[in-house]
Amino acid sequence: MKQACKLALAAAALATGVSAVPATASAQEIQITGPLAGAPAGRKLRLYREGRAELALGGGFTLLDEYKRTIFISGRLQYNVFDWLGIGVFGGFSPEALSLNTDLTDRIDSTPAPRNSRTAVNLPGTVGQPAFEQQTGKLGWMATPQVTFSPFRGKLALFQKLFVDTDLYLHGGVAFVGVKERGDCGAPGQTACTAAASFQQVDRVAVAPSFGLGLTLYPSNFVSINLEYRAFPFSWNRGGFDSRGAGPDASFPDNRIDSEDRTFKFNQMIFVAAGFHLPTSPKVSD
Amino acid sequence: MWKGFLMKHARCWLLAVVALWLLPQAAFAQPKKPAGGGKPPPTAPEPAPAGGDIEIDDPNVPAPEEPTEPAPAPSGETGDGGGGICEIDPTACPKQGDIKALSERSVKADVYAVQQIYALRRGRFEINPYWSQSLNDQFVSHPGPGLAVNYYLTNVLAVGVNGTYYQPFNSDADFNFENRRATRIAVPLTEYLGGYAVNFTYVPMYGKFAGFSQFIFHYDGYLVGGVGGLFTRPIPVIDPDNRKFDFEHRIAFNLGFGLRIFLNRWFAVTGEIRNYIYVEHLENTEVAATQAAAQNPNDPASPWIKEKPLTVNVQAQVGISVFLPFSWEYRLPK
Repeated sequence: MKQACKLALAAAALATGVSAVPATASAQEIQITGPLAGAPAGRKLRLYREGRAELALGGGFTLLDEYKRTIFISGRLQYNVFDWLGIGVFGGFSPEALSLNTDLTDRIDSTPAPRNSRTAVNLPGTVGQPAFEQQTGKLGWMATPQVTFSPFRGKLALFQKLFVDTDLYLHGGVAFVGVKERGDCGAPGQTACTAAASFQQVDRVAVAPSFGLGLTLYPSNFVSINLEYRAFPFSWNRGGFDSRGAGPDASFPDNRIDSEDRTFKFNQMIFVAAGFHLPTSPKVSD
Repeated sequence: MWKGFLMKHARCWLLAVVALWLLPQAAFAQPKKPAGGGKPPPTAPEPAPAGGDIEIDDPNVPAPEEPTEPAPAPSGETGDGGGGICEIDPTACPKQGDIKALSERSVKADVYAVQQIYALRRGRFEINPYWSQSLNDQFVSHPGPGLAVNYYLTNVLAVGVNGTYYQPFNSDADFNFENRRATRIAVPLTEYLGGYAVNFTYVPMYGKFAGFSQFIFHYDGYLVGGVGGLFTRPIPVIDPDNRKFDFEHRIAFNLGFGLRIFLNRWFAVTGEIRNYIYVEHLENTEVAATQAAAQNPNDPASPWIKEKPLTVNVQAQVGISVFLPFSWEYRLPK
């Protein structure tokens, strides 16, 4: 009798499965008819980018700095092939006056820490001769050919009164960065790293990926406001210290200053700018 | 005997009957294909909401009004020949020429810069789990998970609480060690156990973005501020052999702003910058030379804590928001 019961249940399950199989496909094609058929998703869009050149001028401010904060006088020149794609170059320079000490840099000279044989490679024997800030790494200039991709455009309402067209973009390119850092010393034929002359800096060009995202607000057809985040990671010797080159994994000092002493830094910057667009009036889509 | 068999196993048979009765009577929304094959007939056109966007998941789409009388078909035109509505009612058959003319007509509907607010907040709770990451501390990073709960008193004003747990995630940068080794100067470091705050949130702006001209997502920007506490302590780096610190409570004010991107009417992705402002206690950078000096309260090297600077801890908080209840009714029609 148990078998009969099981048989009945199995028959019921089989019937369920068979009858649950859809006889026809359930998917349905959505057909738009009426006045919206064939109409574009948006009409009369102001194409702020397409076919326009943009010059943005402003300031770049580095973030999470250890010894020096850098303010770049920056700009971006860009031509927008389409409304969603532009090519251009971002650049800037930072004079000495805009390379500012962090609190730690000031403390290293002002704190009466011993200057002895253990620090001789890293700091001058006498405080202030030269000052520590003279040996800390600096970012002098930057040039970044880049592509800008603007997938999102929209508008923003402020207090339900002010309405501003805006777009969000991503950018990527290759950054060429002018770096000033302590020159090589301590190797055979080079100045000893304890000598005062070894604390001089030299220039070099670092090449790094550059990427980030930004927001553009268009209060008028001609002028825009731009806020942008940029990352350009690379290795450099920010403190002018001998920190690597010997021992396991070369992670101990070797009494030399060279490329081994460059440590990785995820350099970051915020760029704030006003943009000017030519032609002065944007195209309007159909 | 047969009757006995049925009586004995009545439960089994009853179960089978119930199972058969529960078979799904599948309903298919698709109309039957026309006899001649080809495309399915077009569905009857529904009027678009006046001057508004078409929101597929809008729970408050007004009921369609009486369909307007379509323009009569010019004589001789036979539609697309696909059958369906064109066969049933030739006057309702859409004509390509008419559609083009209608799509290009000027619409004198009321058009607002921003339409009906996509996601109303008034009277709803927001549950916001997030991950927090410190932005301005190059010496010790203070990441950690957190949770915020807000209740919206009005559509633009909310009151809520949030809490963040930092303790296992504090991370002392390699840079600190290398700096100490090179210069014999240590930077006083601190770590966090956790923090909490009572906040007000104000939402002064909202808007929408079109992505690739294909889809629209809504967002809003908000300001947040409040007061609470942080539990912090110094990490002993000046005299780690002799000093040990416990977590202590500090009153912390906070101020920030954020962006909330709605993926639907009750689920959003959030990004926020929050400044926690408090008085930090830093380890004394001096060490007493002798035990007597260490026990002398007038010796400047004696106390373990010396500087108490005003500190701004800037945190980036990224998370998701779930709004409860999930649905609501608009006060006014679109």
